Amino acid sequence: MPLDRPTILLADDDPTIADSLAPFLERAGFHVLVVSDGANALEKAQAHHPELIILDVLMPRMDGREVLRRLRRSNVWTPTILLTQVGEASERALALEEGADDYLNKPFDPHELLARIRAVLRRARPGGRSLTSAWLLTANDLSLDRRARRVTLAGKALDMTPKALSVLEYLMTHPDEAVTRERLLEVVWGWEYPAGTRTVDTRMAELRRALNDDPTEPRFIETIPGEGYRFIAQVHGEG
Amino acid sequence: MLRNKWKVLLLWSLLPFLVGMILFAIVQIFFPTASPILSSVDFGIAAFVLGVTLRAPGVFAFLFGFFATLIGLGIYYWDRRRVWEAQSLYADYVQDAAQKRRHFLRRLDHEIKNPLTGLRAALVNFQESKTGDERARAVGNANRAVERLTRLLTDLRKLSDLEERSIERFPVNVPELLDDVVTAARTIPAYEGRNVTLLIPKIPSPFPMVTGDRDLLVLAVYNLVENALKFTSAEDSIEVRALEDGRSILIEVADSGVGIPPEDVSKIFEELYRGSNARGTDGSGLGLALVHRIAVLHGGGVGVRSSQAEPRGTVFTLRLPRR
Repeated sequence: MPLDRPTILLADDDPTIADSLAPFLERAGFHVLVVSDGANALEKAQAHHPELIILDVLMPRMDGREVLRRLRRSNVWTPTILLTQVGEASERALALEEGADDYLNKPFDPHELLARIRAVLRRARPGGRSLTSAWLLTANDLSLDRRARRVTLAGKALDMTPKALSVLEYLMTHPDEAVTRERLLEVVWGWEYPAGTRTVDTRMAELRRALNDDPTEPRFIETIPGEGYRFIAQVHGEG
Repeated sequence: MLRNKWKVLLLWSLLPFLVGMILFAIVQIFFPTASPILSSVDFGIAAFVLGVTLRAPGVFAFLFGFFATLIGLGIYYWDRRRVWEAQSLYADYVQDAAQKRRHFLRRLDHEIKNPLTGLRAALVNFQESKTGDERARAVGNANRAVERLTRLLTDLRKLSDLEERSIERFPVNVPELLDDVVTAARTIPAYEGRNVTLLIPKIPSPFPMVTGDRDLLVLAVYNLVENALKFTSAEDSIEVRALEDGRSILIEVADSGVGIPPEDVSKIFEELYRGSNARGTDGSGLGLALVHRIAVLHGGGVGVRSSQAEPRGTVFTLRLPRR
């Protein structure tokens, strides 16, 4: 087994997807293990300790969610990307609640998957839990209770729309990462919106107003010209 | 004597009523779908014939029985009518839904078939290509086919999403929203330099708000503007305007393009319907269906008026309740 290349466990029951993605990821410099069902994925994940797992949600024998749940329950915190089928909001929220580090809606561009893999690997703390599985996120005097959908700043509850809160949630679970407007649209809105980048900017303005964050001297959210946004404060996760 | 006479009268008046009811019951059992008016006439006649055969003493008694039967039936019919109406409405609805489904599937089949055919042809070209140019062209075509399928899938998902999810309800600033949409539309590379004007009345000021899901409203107006751009040429102009009439906010997207053929006007909001103008144009065929759905979700509606004769043009009107 090549030791210099990070190993990725790819679990998808569709042979054309697995068959095309595996060589693509190999070319990108990863060692890829392919499995075609959930039970196998669970077994391989525990036996081979891959650096990253890509799980399709709908799989025979055990669905991707269940695999992820079981891994997390047995304290395996290998970074995981879920490949979801539906763009529905509850599905996305679920993917985060079950401790996936990121997720992509099918159909996706393989390059987007590669970008996600790299971002997740960069963020990963070996053996440690990722922020995406924490219930309470804090950064300085800002805290976000993901279960209660409540944000407080210096102990005071903030009033914000569900969308703005979801944007904040995504940024806080992906700190220090350049998040493009397109990515925010995909994860928070679930759809590709026309005029979407302005849609994101509108919510971002709302969010900054709520956080009392000056874009020219940001404490929390920094604008990266031509790219997107970055959460710059240090984030701690609890629970 | 008198008491006896009343007894006979009563019996004779009851007889046609009872016989009528029995006949009615028989008709209902054997011909449950028979029209109630027809059955009432049937047994009315039967009761009359019976009365005559048995030589009913006294025309009054017989008439009493006959009318009592009719009144009884009237009450029965009145009571059942609502059920029959509901049944017939439901049957219409089911038939309508089945027909819509058939249309939808046929159109979906068509929408998938075309890019898929393109994709297969591109793959064959790719396999048989001898030069780098040929290969690049095949890949380009394959990518375009995939993009088209993706667009279709995305819009299908939006539609199904809108069936299920509840929408946000927050105050939305209409002029600001329209400004966003127009700015975004002006920067679509394919339509650069096109004449899109935004008209916002200065009075009343500020322009009244609507309550709703800003993102969905952006999507709706954007679809209308993109549609207008798609069906007009560089010489045409497009106006996006906001109006209010005290109760509603009207958002109009008007263009000076060729107009919509009259036979298409009533169908363009149907899912995957393509008017004769729209064959071969880009787009999922779901854009206007989405606009309609979003308008309805906001308690409003969308309409269109179009003329192919001079002065030609098309105006889409999105009506939203005022906050």
